[in-house]
Amino acid sequence: MDRSLRNLYITLTAGFVALALLLGYWQVVAAGGLQDRAGNPQTIQRERLVDRGRILSADGKVLAASRARRIRGQRVFERVYPQAGLAAHPVGYTSVQEGKTGLESTWNRFLSGSFGTEPLLQRLNLREQRGADVHTHLDTRVQQVAVDALAGQRGAVVALDPHTGGVVAMASAPTFDPNDVAQDFASIRARPGAPLLNRASGGTYPPGSTFKVVTATAALESGLYNPASRFDDTGSFRNTGGPITNFGRRVFGQHTLRQALTNSINTTFARIGATLGAARLGATMSAYGFGERPPVDLPEGEVAVSGRRRDGRLLRNDQPGEDAARIAIGQERLVATPLQMAMVAAAIANEGTVLAPHLMSRITDRGGSNVREQQPEEVGQAASARTARQLTEMMRGVVDEGTGTAAALSGLSVAGKTGTAETGDTGRNQAWFIGFAPAEAPQIAVAVVIEDTTSTGGGVAAPVAGAVMKAALDREG
Amino acid sequence: MTSPRTRELGFLIPAAALGLLGLASVATARADEFDLGPLPAALGVIAVFAVMHVALRLRAPAADPYLLPTVGLLTAIGLIELHRIDPGLAEDQAIWVTVGGAVFLAVLALIPDHHVLERYRYLIGIAGVALLVATMIFGTTINGSKLWIEVGGGQTVQLGELSKVLIVIFLAGYLRDKRELLAIPTRRVLGVPVPPMSALGPVLVFLVAALVLVVALNDFGSGLLFFGAFLAMLYLATGRVAYVGFGLALFAAGAALVYAVVPRIQDRVGGWLTPFDDPAGQGFQLVQSLYALAEGGLLGPGLGRGFLITESGNTVIPALQTDFMFSAVAAELGYIGGLGLLLCYLVMMQRGFAIAIEATDGFSKLLAGGLTAVLALQAFLIVGGVIRLIPLTGVALPFLSYGGSSVVTNFGIVALLLVVSNRTRMPRRTGVQRDLAPDWGVADG
Repeated sequence: MDRSLRNLYITLTAGFVALALLLGYWQVVAAGGLQDRAGNPQTIQRERLVDRGRILSADGKVLAASRARRIRGQRVFERVYPQAGLAAHPVGYTSVQEGKTGLESTWNRFLSGSFGTEPLLQRLNLREQRGADVHTHLDTRVQQVAVDALAGQRGAVVALDPHTGGVVAMASAPTFDPNDVAQDFASIRARPGAPLLNRASGGTYPPGSTFKVVTATAALESGLYNPASRFDDTGSFRNTGGPITNFGRRVFGQHTLRQALTNSINTTFARIGATLGAARLGATMSAYGFGERPPVDLPEGEVAVSGRRRDGRLLRNDQPGEDAARIAIGQERLVATPLQMAMVAAAIANEGTVLAPHLMSRITDRGGSNVREQQPEEVGQAASARTARQLTEMMRGVVDEGTGTAAALSGLSVAGKTGTAETGDTGRNQAWFIGFAPAEAPQIAVAVVIEDTTSTGGGVAAPVAGAVMKAALDREG
Repeated sequence: MTSPRTRELGFLIPAAALGLLGLASVATARADEFDLGPLPAALGVIAVFAVMHVALRLRAPAADPYLLPTVGLLTAIGLIELHRIDPGLAEDQAIWVTVGGAVFLAVLALIPDHHVLERYRYLIGIAGVALLVATMIFGTTINGSKLWIEVGGGQTVQLGELSKVLIVIFLAGYLRDKRELLAIPTRRVLGVPVPPMSALGPVLVFLVAALVLVVALNDFGSGLLFFGAFLAMLYLATGRVAYVGFGLALFAAGAALVYAVVPRIQDRVGGWLTPFDDPAGQGFQLVQSLYALAEGGLLGPGLGRGFLITESGNTVIPALQTDFMFSAVAAELGYIGGLGLLLCYLVMMQRGFAIAIEATDGFSKLLAGGLTAVLALQAFLIVGGVIRLIPLTGVALPFLSYGGSSVVTNFGIVALLLVVSNRTRMPRRTGVQRDLAPDWGVADG
């Protein structure tokens, strides 16, 4: 009988080992996934007890903070957004029911104080459970100008510091008040114009003529062209697809590459695209960041990839057998986010070096010491410094005498490029402007898109860009 | 050489210290001031264990020294967790622990030699079934199951708990008597070796009667426990895996039948297989249990620091203080604490089987093995249920779950195990100190 006793003992012990393994699975392996499940009351309670860190603007304004309340003698916290809808998209919201978006999501670990050795110190009661503060590059004055300029329209503005990659402004219209998310989420979602969508990083639009800057980069980098290269326009160019004509069916005759950008001559850029071919054009696109999600500190779902799509699938930038002439003028199923086009402008302003865009500049604990600091981060070289200078010069022409004069600022030189992409509805366009200022020593790069307008990039987008750049340059002094 | 009782004391003291430490943890968790309210009750429970210890010194000096401290630790954790959930529950439970202590003393005093039980095996078996019948006739239905009998003053008892012990005693006696007959199959039916009906018949009749009663009482947890204990003891007595296999096949068929006809069981199984399909309904308890476990993580926030009670005063998991005590402890003490609890049950089981192996006669072996199997199976069924290894059955977690009948019965089981251990180890028969070290497991003495 002793043998049977031993076998029974071993069998039951095996059962307990199974219990121990499964318990470890729930408590350690699967714990994170369970905690992230919507409606988990344990997570809700934990988050209510955390004095979440603030999100601050570069000019010292509070974008998000936590306010303490007492319920049945217990201190619980609720999130408040003093600037309401001003920077709702990049800041995001945190809600038990609706989850987290924007910076509230990206830097949650720091905001909730569960980074590094903090959880351990908090458990040992050596540290209060308080989150760290996230300092951003966002400037509420620039942001305010962008939001005001977009008011009543649908569109987005991105303003980048070309030398750091810092996001100085990121606005998307229509916007919403994140303070209402907890009570009123359904009604926000039901409003027209998808106010919850961050158009600046997640909205994809055909870039139209702003893409000619990318084509021009490829042309200059190829060594086959320089700004003075001569072209003869007959009003139409035909490659593999249908004929390509100019805006307003204009015929420009003899002109240089510089003039082709100033006047946004489709036929010339189509000709250049056909000459360069899809591979060379694709390589420049890749260098600017097309085809990859921009490495901005926003949740993946809020940042779209720019590039060419077919049936919802992203094509390779250098996909062979494509009509490079149409790609060159920003058509052929090509879409871009305002953030990506701002990166193009910023790269040219930064001697051709592409920097990763960042909203967060540093994270500090409540004592004020840095927990984390974001350094400028190079992600590619789209053009040589020489090419960047040539492009700047060409883009100055656009604002000085071409399609983008509405972006001009008194006493300052602005480099830019307009774009007007047709939506398919006759007379309805997506208006673009990308650019930077001052041209000789760039401080700010912007991209503006206005959806569904009867006007052009030069008509509606360029003035917005001008106002935003002015506000950005004013903030220094 | 350290005597077993001194060794026992050496483990009881740290168990008591851990208990007081846990109580302090709860007391400092929320209140701004240190709450000394539960201290007298805690000292009272420690006194109960001290009395049990002294009683063992007088009545069973040679008994295993590890069982009582393990029980003490489990009782302490259970009381602290109950106090943390609702101080009133812990007060009730402390009274039941005291009653359990009294039963423990009574067993030591009245049954100096457990072999007396073998003589009355049929009487005891009939009493066991009679308790179930009584529950069926006079029982009150709570939560859909008829397990409780009102004894006046709103108090209820679960006679099924006691019936479990009586049936194990009966089986030990009966199987000891018939094991030779049962072990040698006389014929084969469909390739399955079958022992003579004269030996097997009464066991089967008895078992089916018990199971029918359990189904009539709508208590499937107990049914599973009875069945598991029966199979374990049949295996111990005969050493034949084939019987167990046959039993399990029978069980599978029975389970399929029950599943097909009892909606309550379909719900339970549904809630087990796909709890997240209906997290607010059928899967609610289990999902909340898993959430609490996940929140506990590796180390847990500490006793009294988990989120177990909502602002409106409800427990986050329904039946937290009974079925989900394991989840409550693992939520607050983390995986480390959960493993600790499992280890306590493993130690208890290891000592129980060690006592059985040390024992020199078949009845003692079957009795100790059967009682140990009941305790271990019970812990396995409920822990497995709350962590989703098996469907949830509402059996009590030994020594932790709120409920007097279970606590009192379990103290009786431990007392019986210690009586068996003492009888085996007493140097009385030969007059020479026997080698106390079992041939396996923890060396002792």
